[in-house]
Amino acid sequence: MTGTFPTRHSTTLTAIWTIVVLLFLYIPMMAVVLASFSKLRYFRFPITGWTTEWYSKTLESLSVRDLLWTSLSVATLVTVLSVGLAFFGALAFARYDWTGRKLYQRLVLLPIFFPQAVLGLSLLLWFSALGITTSWKTAVFAHMIWIVPIVILIISIQVYSFDSALEEAAFDLGASRWQVMKEITLPIMSPGIVSGGIFAFLLSWGNFPLSLFSTGADQTVPEWLYAKMVSGYTPMVPTLGSLTMSGAAILLLLIYLAWMAIVRRKRGRAGSQ
Amino acid sequence: MSEETTPFLELAGVTKKYGDFTAVSDINLSIREGELFTLVGPSGSGKTTMIRMLVGMDQPTSGEMRLKGRVLNKVPANKRPTCMVFQSLALFPHKSVGENVEFAMKIAGVDPARRRQRAEELLAQLRLPLDCYDKGVNQCSGGERQRIALARALAFNPEILFFDEPLSALDFRLRKALEKELKDIHRETGKTFVYITHSLEEAMVMSDRIGIMRDGRIVQVGTPHEIYNKPINEFVAKFMGEVNSLEVEAVGENMVKSKVYGDTYHVGTMPAGFTAGFLIIRPEVVKIGKAAAPMPNRIQGVVFNDYALGSRIQYQVRSATNGDPWLVERLQDEAYEGQLGDTVDIGWRPEDSIVLSE
Amino acid sequence: MNWIRQPGVVAALPAAIFLFVGFAGPLLMVFGYSFMPEKTFTLKQLPTVENYVSVVTDSYYISFTWSVFLAALTVLLLFPICYPIAYGMAKLFGKWAKLVTALIAIPLLISENIRLFGWVLILLKNGIFDGTMQSLFDVSVSGLLYTVPAIVLGLVYVYLPFMLFPLVIGISMIPDVVKEAAADLGANRWQVFREVELPLAMPGIMIGCILSFILVLGSLAESKILGGQAIVMIADDIESAFTFAQNWPKGSVLSVLLIALSGFIVFTLFRRIDLDQVIGRR
Repeated sequence: MTGTFPTRHSTTLTAIWTIVVLLFLYIPMMAVVLASFSKLRYFRFPITGWTTEWYSKTLESLSVRDLLWTSLSVATLVTVLSVGLAFFGALAFARYDWTGRKLYQRLVLLPIFFPQAVLGLSLLLWFSALGITTSWKTAVFAHMIWIVPIVILIISIQVYSFDSALEEAAFDLGASRWQVMKEITLPIMSPGIVSGGIFAFLLSWGNFPLSLFSTGADQTVPEWLYAKMVSGYTPMVPTLGSLTMSGAAILLLLIYLAWMAIVRRKRGRAGSQ
Repeated sequence: MSEETTPFLELAGVTKKYGDFTAVSDINLSIREGELFTLVGPSGSGKTTMIRMLVGMDQPTSGEMRLKGRVLNKVPANKRPTCMVFQSLALFPHKSVGENVEFAMKIAGVDPARRRQRAEELLAQLRLPLDCYDKGVNQCSGGERQRIALARALAFNPEILFFDEPLSALDFRLRKALEKELKDIHRETGKTFVYITHSLEEAMVMSDRIGIMRDGRIVQVGTPHEIYNKPINEFVAKFMGEVNSLEVEAVGENMVKSKVYGDTYHVGTMPAGFTAGFLIIRPEVVKIGKAAAPMPNRIQGVVFNDYALGSRIQYQVRSATNGDPWLVERLQDEAYEGQLGDTVDIGWRPEDSIVLSE
Repeated sequence: MNWIRQPGVVAALPAAIFLFVGFAGPLLMVFGYSFMPEKTFTLKQLPTVENYVSVVTDSYYISFTWSVFLAALTVLLLFPICYPIAYGMAKLFGKWAKLVTALIAIPLLISENIRLFGWVLILLKNGIFDGTMQSLFDVSVSGLLYTVPAIVLGLVYVYLPFMLFPLVIGISMIPDVVKEAAADLGANRWQVFREVELPLAMPGIMIGCILSFILVLGSLAESKILGGQAIVMIADDIESAFTFAQNWPKGSVLSVLLIALSGFIVFTLFRRIDLDQVIGRR
C-alpha cells in the first residue's frame, strides 16, 4: 500500500503556514492597540511614554459620542431589517422550488459582487433624483443593499441543511402553519439567523465605502477615522479604533458565551438521568 | 374475499398528475378498519405519491378519498385524523425524546402532566427505557429512533397510521426484528396501519393484505398467501422473488411451447382461452439429479454455480441445448451430491408450474 | 399553477422588491446620468455621448490599467497563499477548523480603515518596522509607506478572507475517496491535485478568484490610505469626479465602464456555476 498522503509532515507545514497568515491578519490590529497607549501626539516607535489619557479624552469628546451613536443606530436598524428580509429571502433562495429561482439566486448575489464605492455613488444619485436628503437613515438603506444579500447567503446555508420533512411531520401532527414556524422552523434555523444578525451588525458598523456617500451631514465612526487618517495623525484615531475593536470583540465573546450556555443547558438536561 | 365489510378508507378513481406526467392513475381501493395494509412496488411506481395524498401533503388531480364516508380531498394534513411515520423519521432534532412524543398533545393543548403520563405510557409500550425521556433524539440508536417516531405518531391517536418505508435505512437484522415488532404493535393497538415499501419480503412478513403497484396503477390486491400462489401476471410473479420465466404459447391441452427454443412443457392448468404468455417455475419446485428422473418436464444441463441461502441452497443450471440459466432451490438436507460442472437432469411436476397470460 | 401564489415567490418578494428599488434603480440612474452633458445635476437634458468620448480620449485608461493590474496581481498572490490554508481547514484541521474559521472571519467584522491604519503605523517612517530596525540594527527603512508594494500588501491583507472561504467550500466538495481512488490507480501527489482536486474544487476556486478580483477592482481605501499619491485607482477617479470635480456625468461614465467590466466577469462566472451545489453542498 502506498502511504496515505495527508502525511503528518504536510499537516504540520500547513498548520505553521496558517499560523503565520493569522499573525499577518492580527499584527496590524495589535499595532493600533499599541499606538493608542502612546503618550506622544505623533506616532513614533519604540514607544517612549505610556498613557491612557487619550481614552478618557476620546470618551469625553462629544463629537465622538455623536459618532458612536450614529454608527450604533445605523447598525442596529440594519440588523433588524436585514434579518427580517433575509429570512424570507433565504427560504426563497434555498428552500422552495419555484419558477424563477435560479435567476433570483443570481440577481440577489449581484450586490455582493459589486464595487461598493460605485454602489454608494449610484445610491447618492438615486436619493437626489428622488428628492431625499441624505442622512444616517439613508445610510441604513444603503448598507442594507449590500448586507441583505450577505445575510441571505448566511441563512441559506442553514436552510439547505434543513429537512423539510420536519415541517411536514409537525403539520401532519396537527400544528398550524404558525405553530410549525414557531415550534420547528425558527428554532432549527436560529443559529443561521443569529450568525446572520451578527454579520449584519458588524459589517454595518465597520462599513466605510457605502457610508461615505450616503450619510450626508451625519458621520459614522469609519468615516471619521478615514477623514482623520487622510488629513493627518491624531492619537484619537488609534484610540477610537481600539475602542471599536474591543467593542466588537466583547460583543462576539458575549454571544459566544451565551451560545455555549445554551448548549451546556441542553446537554445538562440530556445528561440528567 | 369478504367485500361486505364496511369500507373504512376508500379511494375512488384517484389520479395525480404533475404536468404531463401521471404519477398515480385511477386508483380504486378500499382499506378495512384495523388491518395492516401494505402498498408495495418498485421505485417510481407511485406509492410515495399515494401516501402523500392520503396524508394530505398532496392533493389528487381527480377522484375521491373517503374516510368513513367523509371526503378527505380538501382537508389539510393538520386537520386529518391520520398520521405518518416518515422515511427519514423527521424527528425534531432540537427537542428531547419526550418533547418529540408529546408534540401532538402540546399542539392539541393537553396539560403538561397528562402529556407526560401518556408519553411515558407510550415509551413503555414501545419498550423504550424511561430515562430516554430527557435524551436528545440524536443520542438515540437507530432502533430507538424508529420507536420514538412511532410513539410520536401514536400519541396523536390517529384513525390511520401511515408508514413511508421507515425501516429502509436500517441494517438487515434490526430491520427483521422491527418488522415483527411493528406487526405486534399493530395487534396491540388494533389501529389501521397503511405501510409502503419496495420490499415484498417486508410486505409478506407484516401485512394482512398487500396491494402491488406498478407505473401508477394497482396491479393486484390480496393476502400474502393469495399473491404468492396466484400472481396475476409475470410482473407480480417476478416481483415476489426469483423465478424461472419463459415466454410460451399454447400447443394443445395443457401443453406449452417456448417461443424462443421451441421445447415443450406439460402444465397443470391453463387460464381459460390461453394462447400465449408466460410459464413461471419457482426455483423451489424444481428437482435436481436423481429426484428429477420421474418428472414429466425435464431439462438436461450443467451445474454452473451454487449459492448458499441459509436453510436452503440454490443452484444455477445452464441448459445443455441452449445455455439458458435455470434456478433450482433445495433444502440443505436434500442438496445435490455431485460437483460443479456435472451434467444433470432437472425437472418439475406439471401442477407446480404457473401459466400467465400477461 | 398561478406563478405568484407559489410559496417561493411570496418569500422572495420582499427582498426582491427591496433590491430592485435599491440596486436596479440606482444603476439605471448612473446609466442615465452618463449620457447627460458635463456638470449637470439633472436628467432633464438632451442625451449625449460626449462624456464617453472624452473619457476614452482622456488619460483615464491609466487608472483603469492600474486597477486591473493590481486586481490580477492580488488574485495571483492570494491563490497560493490561501490554497494550503483552505485545504487544511477543509481536510486536515478537524475540530480546529472552526477556530481557524472564526479567527479569519473576525477581522472582517472590524472596519477596514482601522486595520489599514495598523499597516500605516507599521510602515510609517519611525513606525514599528522602521523603529525596530533602527534600534536593533541601526539601519533606517523609511519610505515603505505610500508605495505600490504597500498598496498590494493592503489589498492582499484586506481581501484574503474573500479568497479563502470560497476555496474552503470548493475543497470540501471533493470527496476523500475520489482522491484515494486516484492515488490507488497510480497517480502521484501532483497528478491527484491536477486531475482530481483542481477540477472538483473549481466552482469554489472560481468564486474566490472572481470575488477578490472584483472587490480589488472597486477598492478605494487601500490605495488612498497606504498609497497616498503613489497611484490613482479607478474607484478613486470616480469618487473625485463626483465629489471634488462635481461632474456627475463623468463619474457616471467611469462607473458604467467599471460596472460593465465587473458585470461581464460575474455573469461569465454565474453561467458556469450551480449555486445550489456550491452553497448547499448538494
